[in-house]
Formats: sequence, C-alpha cells, structure tokens
Amino acid sequence: MAFSDKVKELEYISWKCRRNVLRMVEAGGHGHLGGALSAIDIVTALYFGKMAGKPDDPQWEQRDRFILSAGHKCMCQYAVLAERGYFPKDILDTYGSLKSPIPGHPDMHKLPGIEANTGALGHGLAIAAGMALAMKCNKQQSRVYTVMGDGELAEGSNWEAAAAAAHHQLGNLVLFLDNNGLQISGKVEDIMNFMPAGERFAAFGWRVMEIDGNNMQEIMCALDDIPTGGTQPVIIVAHTVKGKGISFLENKAFCHFWSPSKEELGRAIAEVEKRIEEMRTELEVRA
Amino acid sequence: MIGEKMDPRKTFGAAVTEIAESREDIVILSADSGGSSGFKEFARNHPDRYFEFGIMEQGVTGIAAGLAAMGKTPVFCAIAPFVTCRNFEMFRNDCGYMHQNVKIVGRNGGFTYSDLGATHHSLEDFAIIRMIPGVVILAPQTPGEIRAAAKAMLDYEGPVYMRIGNPPMEELWEEKEFEIGKGSILREGTDLAIITTGTSTANVLCAADLLAEKGISAMVVGMPTVSPADEALILHAAKKTGKILTVEEHYIGGGLGSIVAEVCGRYCPVPVKMHGVKKEYAISGPYDELLKYYSLDAQGIAREAEKFLTEG
Repeated sequence: MAFSDKVKELEYISWKCRRNVLRMVEAGGHGHLGGALSAIDIVTALYFGKMAGKPDDPQWEQRDRFILSAGHKCMCQYAVLAERGYFPKDILDTYGSLKSPIPGHPDMHKLPGIEANTGALGHGLAIAAGMALAMKCNKQQSRVYTVMGDGELAEGSNWEAAAAAAHHQLGNLVLFLDNNGLQISGKVEDIMNFMPAGERFAAFGWRVMEIDGNNMQEIMCALDDIPTGGTQPVIIVAHTVKGKGISFLENKAFCHFWSPSKEELGRAIAEVEKRIEEMRTELEVRA
Repeated sequence: MIGEKMDPRKTFGAAVTEIAESREDIVILSADSGGSSGFKEFARNHPDRYFEFGIMEQGVTGIAAGLAAMGKTPVFCAIAPFVTCRNFEMFRNDCGYMHQNVKIVGRNGGFTYSDLGATHHSLEDFAIIRMIPGVVILAPQTPGEIRAAAKAMLDYEGPVYMRIGNPPMEELWEEKEFEIGKGSILREGTDLAIITTGTSTANVLCAADLLAEKGISAMVVGMPTVSPADEALILHAAKKTGKILTVEEHYIGGGLGSIVAEVCGRYCPVPVKMHGVKKEYAISGPYDELLKYYSLDAQGIAREAEKFLTEG
C-alpha cells in the first residue's frame, strides 16, 4: 500500500475510534474525553500502523509494548484495542458500570492488550524504561512506546525515569508527549510551565522530534524515522488539540472530563459519524 | 555456626549472589545502594545484570516493575524508609496493583541506623506495606534465616518486601528451609506467649531466660513472615497461654502487634499487649542504648512481660 493510502486508511480508523470513544461516553455518561481525543491519532497509528502485536495472542512475547502513562486518556486505548480486535466492541458499552473490564483507568488484569495499571501520573515512563531495559538485556528487537500528557510533566518521577533512560541508552524507548497545552484547571504553561519540553529532554540526552500529533502523516513519518539499534531514547513532542475532532470541544479545558447533555452528545456523535461517512466515500473513490 | 555474629547486609547480598549464579532472570537494581547491600561481588561478576541508577528510589521501583513485567526478577535493596515511604505509590501501584515479581529489601530497618536519626529509621514499614494487597512481608531473625528467606523470596512469584537490620546478627539456630507464611515456636511456655519478629527475636529469647529465672514460663513465637500472618500459630499460642505480648522494632500500632490483635480479636479474644516504639520520631544514639531506652532490650522486654502478667 502506498504511504499516502496508508495514512488515509489510518485517518479513517482514527475516526471510527473516535466513534468508539463516544460510545463509551454514551454508556458511562461521562469520561476523560479531551485527552483521549488529542492522543487518539497517535494511539491509532501505533496499533494499526507500527507496533508488532497479535490481537488473538496479546501476550505474544515478541510484541512491542504500549504504556499509557496518562491513564486517564484510557478511552482512546480502549477504542483502538476494540477496533483492532483485542476484545468485542460490546464491552465498550460497559464503561462506567459495576465491574466493567474498562474502568476509568486501565487495569492489565481485566483487559487483553493493557500492559500496566496506570492512572496515578508520573509512573508510566519508569515502567516503560524497565521494559525497555529488559528488552535490551534480552537483545530483543521490540520497542516500548508510551504516551504522556503535558500536564503530567510536573511529576518529578518522570524526570528520574528520563535520566535513567538516557543513562542506560534505551534507544528502544519512544515517548509521545501529548502536548495539547491544557489540563483540568487551565493552560499547562500557566499552571506549571515545562516548556520547551523538547529542549529539556534534549538536555537529559534524549533525541527530540516535534510534530503535529493530530496529523497522521507526520506521526507515521516520525515513527518511520526512528532507527533500530539506536542508543538514545526518543521523545516525539506531539502538538495536539484537546477534544480534537468535535468542533465545539476543541481546545476547551472543560472537556478534560466531559459529562455531556443528551443534546451535546448527539451533536458530537453526528459530527463524528458525518466525518466517518465522508472518509469512507473518499477511500472508496481512491480505491 | 550457632552463636556466631554476622553482618545481615553482607549475608543477604551473598545469598542472593549465590542463587543468581544459576538464575539468569535475577537482576540487581541499585539506588547508589548496591555496594552497601552486599552486591559488590555481583556487580563485579555480572555487570550485565547489575544496574545503577543513583539516588532514585521512585524511579527504580517503577523500573523494577517494568523489568518484572518482561520476566526479570529484580532485587532492589536500599535503606528501608527510602524503599517503603519515599516510593510508596510506586510500590502500591507498580508492584502491588500490577502484581509484579519485584523484590524490595529494606536494609537498616527499624532503628538499626540508630544514630543517623529519624529520617533513616523505618518504624512504620510493616504497617504501610501490609496495606498493599498481595505483598508478602518478611523479617528474618538470624543470618541463616536471611539466607533461607532470600531463597524463598526469589522462588516466590509476586511482590515481596523484606526487612533486614544493620548490626551483626547472631546465629540462633541451625539454618532450615524457609516457608513463607509460617512462623515457629522457638520456646515452649504456658504463662504467656511472646510473639516477635526480625531483629527483636534474639532479645526476646534472652528475655524468656530472664523470665524463667523468676519462675515465669514464656512461650516464644518467631514470625519471620509478618504478612500473610500465620493465623493458626497465633491462635495456638492464644489458646495455650491466654495472654500474648507482641514485641517488634516498629511502632506499636500497625505492625505485627496489630496483626496479632486483629487475629485474636476475631477468632480467640485474649488479652494482647503490643510492645514496640511509641508513635514519635525516635531519638538517635547507639543502637544498644536505643533498645534500652525503648525497653526493647532483653531486660526491658522481660519487664514488660512481668508488668503484663501482674498488672494486665
């Protein structure tokens, strides 16, 4: 498949995944929507375009690992895992219900495809670094990918892990910083500024790339640009838009945790379904 | 050899190093702490399995969980408060909640880092770690038991916290196999049972001798597994003696004493006196003098036992 066709296909999948996210919000009545939608293009690209993995054998040893450090964005991972076939989509309808296997923060013991119990911020990068260190010891070719929120940068433990990853030359570790610029109380730069994040990670010894994290072509190009066997961990500072894909939620801090009215949810679903239909038609024309 | 005194840290490091010769999955993590934890030889012989991180206990705990998720068996040993308090959320979420096969060892536990002061004491480690579901807590009582517990810890699949001390520790009995979750009767008795663990056991046995001189028959129960508790043994001691004194180098609340009281309260209500350090930031000074100050030396323990029998 030509690169441009692959990108189009991934874009189409990312919209179907956005619909899956709204299905969960519909079931639970609320959810951490804003960050889920800013990161969903990255997560779609990883599971459908990059990572080695087998939905019918989620524990396959040679798989790449994905750690969602910003565990509250889990609806995007659930949406993508369901779309990829890790579990039946009707599980999405249990979101928010008693004993649901898709709780508000991911639980590896409850759902295939989840590699770590994240939710408390500032944990994922260290866990990912440990996995990458083990892969390096085993001379395994796999990689560890992780997604961290920009508000999460204020957790000091991240900087411990950042130092350790560079010191131990974990070139098999790739960190996406979901830099949507907003956290629950407002702008990240006003609450605790960690910009320019790229320069800070570079000073720790990381290789830095900057992309538009909602642009599938840029995401795929960045991923394809990471060599195997490198010695520098890689951070991809992904500039994203909170609530991306739903016009009246984009770039709004309030959608960090969204409890929509029936009418608002209906509007969001209509927008996403319209886009899915447009993309489907576009793909058919290209074919 | 019985009666010989040995460095608990070197004993532990040597035991793990020996086991790791035939266990490629074992990796040692150091937060600028490996050399002082008995791992100098391991670091020399296995640089590919010894990882230094500097003073980074939170990060190391998360990294340990990641290594374990990939099939490694990480052993992380450092000063007890820094691997229980400092990194508590990583212990809880990354090791406990994720149920990873991580072995965290707090050395210089209790107030054995005596003159370094309260920042370096760990008098709450049993209490806080036992609140994490699924974590085994060990506190071996002799050098031989440190060796045997290290083997049991490494054979066990799941998160373990082990506390060891600092001053030379006496070999009190022949080394035997260590079974997680099992305590043992170290001395039979009928007037009361003294249930103890870790660094306190040697002094409790001496206290039992002092009590015997006064005609008091004290059963001594050693509990090298603090959690999960050996409930059957606690209940046996309660039924046989009707009075239990718990002794530990730990705050009075939350540790072994609380565990024993919970078990007795539920299944066999008998008077339980919990002896340890009252909830304060402990004073600093020579270890022997601290033990005396807090009545955790043999004479102090014997006094507490007598008071319990006469005053209740």
